[in-house]
Amino acid sequence: MKALEDLVTLFTRLPGIGRKSALRMTYYLLKADPRFAQSLAEQIAGLQDQIKFCSVCGSYTESDPCPVCSGLDRDRRILCVVEQPQDVITIEASREYRGLYHVLGGLLSPLDGIGPDKLRIASLIQRIRKSRNESVPIQEVVLATNPTVEGDTTALYIRKVLEQEGVAVTRLATGIPVGGDLEYADRLTLARSFRGRMPL
Amino acid sequence: MSFSRIRLVSYRNLEDAEINTAADRVFLIGENGQGKTNLLEALYYLSFGGSFRGQVDAQIPANGVKGFGLKGYWKNNSILEDEIEISVQNSVKDIRLNGKPVRDRKELVGHNPSVVFCHEDFSFAAGEPELRRFFFDQCAGMISLDYIDILRAYRRVLKQRNAALKESAYDLLEVLDPQFVRYGQELMAIREIIFARFQKQFPQLYEHVSQLGKPVELEYRPNWPQGAGFEEILQFVESKRDIEIIQGTTRSGPHRDRWNFVSGGESFTDTASTGQLRLVSLVLRVVEAIVYAETVEAQTGTRQWPVLLLDDVLLELDVGKRRRFLELLPGEREGAQAFFTFLPGEPWTEYASGDTLVYRVNHGRFEG
Ligand SMILES: [Zn+2]
Repeated sequence: MKALEDLVTLFTRLPGIGRKSALRMTYYLLKADPRFAQSLAEQIAGLQDQIKFCSVCGSYTESDPCPVCSGLDRDRRILCVVEQPQDVITIEASREYRGLYHVLGGLLSPLDGIGPDKLRIASLIQRIRKSRNESVPIQEVVLATNPTVEGDTTALYIRKVLEQEGVAVTRLATGIPVGGDLEYADRLTLARSFRGRMPL
Repeated sequence: MSFSRIRLVSYRNLEDAEINTAADRVFLIGENGQGKTNLLEALYYLSFGGSFRGQVDAQIPANGVKGFGLKGYWKNNSILEDEIEISVQNSVKDIRLNGKPVRDRKELVGHNPSVVFCHEDFSFAAGEPELRRFFFDQCAGMISLDYIDILRAYRRVLKQRNAALKESAYDLLEVLDPQFVRYGQELMAIREIIFARFQKQFPQLYEHVSQLGKPVELEYRPNWPQGAGFEEILQFVESKRDIEIIQGTTRSGPHRDRWNFVSGGESFTDTASTGQLRLVSLVLRVVEAIVYAETVEAQTGTRQWPVLLLDDVLLELDVGKRRRFLELLPGEREGAQAFFTFLPGEPWTEYASGDTLVYRVNHGRFEG
């Protein structure tokens, strides 16, 4: 049964899904209400068309610029730099932070051939410079990269390139365990991290 | 610390069984290849979540089986026993301490550690500098849990730094170097402590057993200038930049630190006999156990020994050295548990006492 086998193989490519789970999911869909299977298929097919990257901050959004970048209630003096779009969702869920975001799209890692030109660092500098002509210029950049070697390297590099830009640079330092992951930090530790951010 | 019993499932050639180990001394007597060392390996595996033979888990399961399981119980200060359970199925390892999953093997180190004495230790005394670094890194990890994290981070920075050198990414070297120096300095600081602790014990214990008549001392030679501050080391690292760029690799740092044995101003490794070097490796393990016991005592007020696993080590010592070596091991009333393996012909009865469990090992079966 090729259709069945093909779907199982596709499912196993999803993160955290082994062959056993893929089989279970496939058999479930086979027996499920056709309307459920149909709407799941449509959602999956439409996902990449509907969700785009915000042209300002680089996080996921359905409208461009995203609700955070265009939000009237956000504190525009402060900009939080994160590794990936999911980090924005994690931090937003903590409700501790009301500033803006900038997604790098990765971390510096010479081992993986990822240099500064592969990340959204140039657009970060441009964004800070452009904000000087606006009513509320960016005054503080919070580096929220994970406390790993690559996260630290990226934070130190960004601090260096922002030295001449006239903004304060701080780092989320406390709360998240060393080698830990922003994605897995709970809301409470994240909130504490924001309050306890330190100058780099 | 001591194991009160262990359970084995599909572990190498060992028969599935629960083995009572509640004694200060446990003797395993049998011919080679019967499973004595495999039992010591299983105990070590329960201590640290991995084998001391450095083999991959896939080689451990009994013939024709896809996985194995181990369970160990040991007394703690409460009424309940601690339980460690390890299962490896299809190369997926699951470790549980009192039913709770253990995500990082590092978490196990402080609970019921063991020190293994085996033939391969000979390389710590006689082999390449890298092997001695490995030994002292292991010891440092046992007395300081931070050390393992710092060493991991240091190695990661080193890899990134080497990659940056190969790709001529100089702007990244500028931000990697401060991290490289910071982690490296932390390693050096803990190594200095380990060095002082070993140097305090090793020469006299070695002399006690060897009766060589001239002191054999340990020497720690960091690759970076000793006692230098952060800025000074950073400059030292940067001074090598030109040659590093040509060679595409890092030329300085604690990964090049040296540990030496010296006697009368000469390298003992180069001048000693095989027997003398073997004794160095045995005494090193004793000092490792003492240093661990002292560390726990400093932290908790009670002296706690790691479980000692001695694999055929008495065989190669003459009668006098054998006796004097045994004198170095913690006494029975100190609550230190030791497992010994013997060949049937050895005079093991001489070493046994009231609180000794004796097992005959035959084809993976243990008979008391
Ligand atoms: Zn946006």
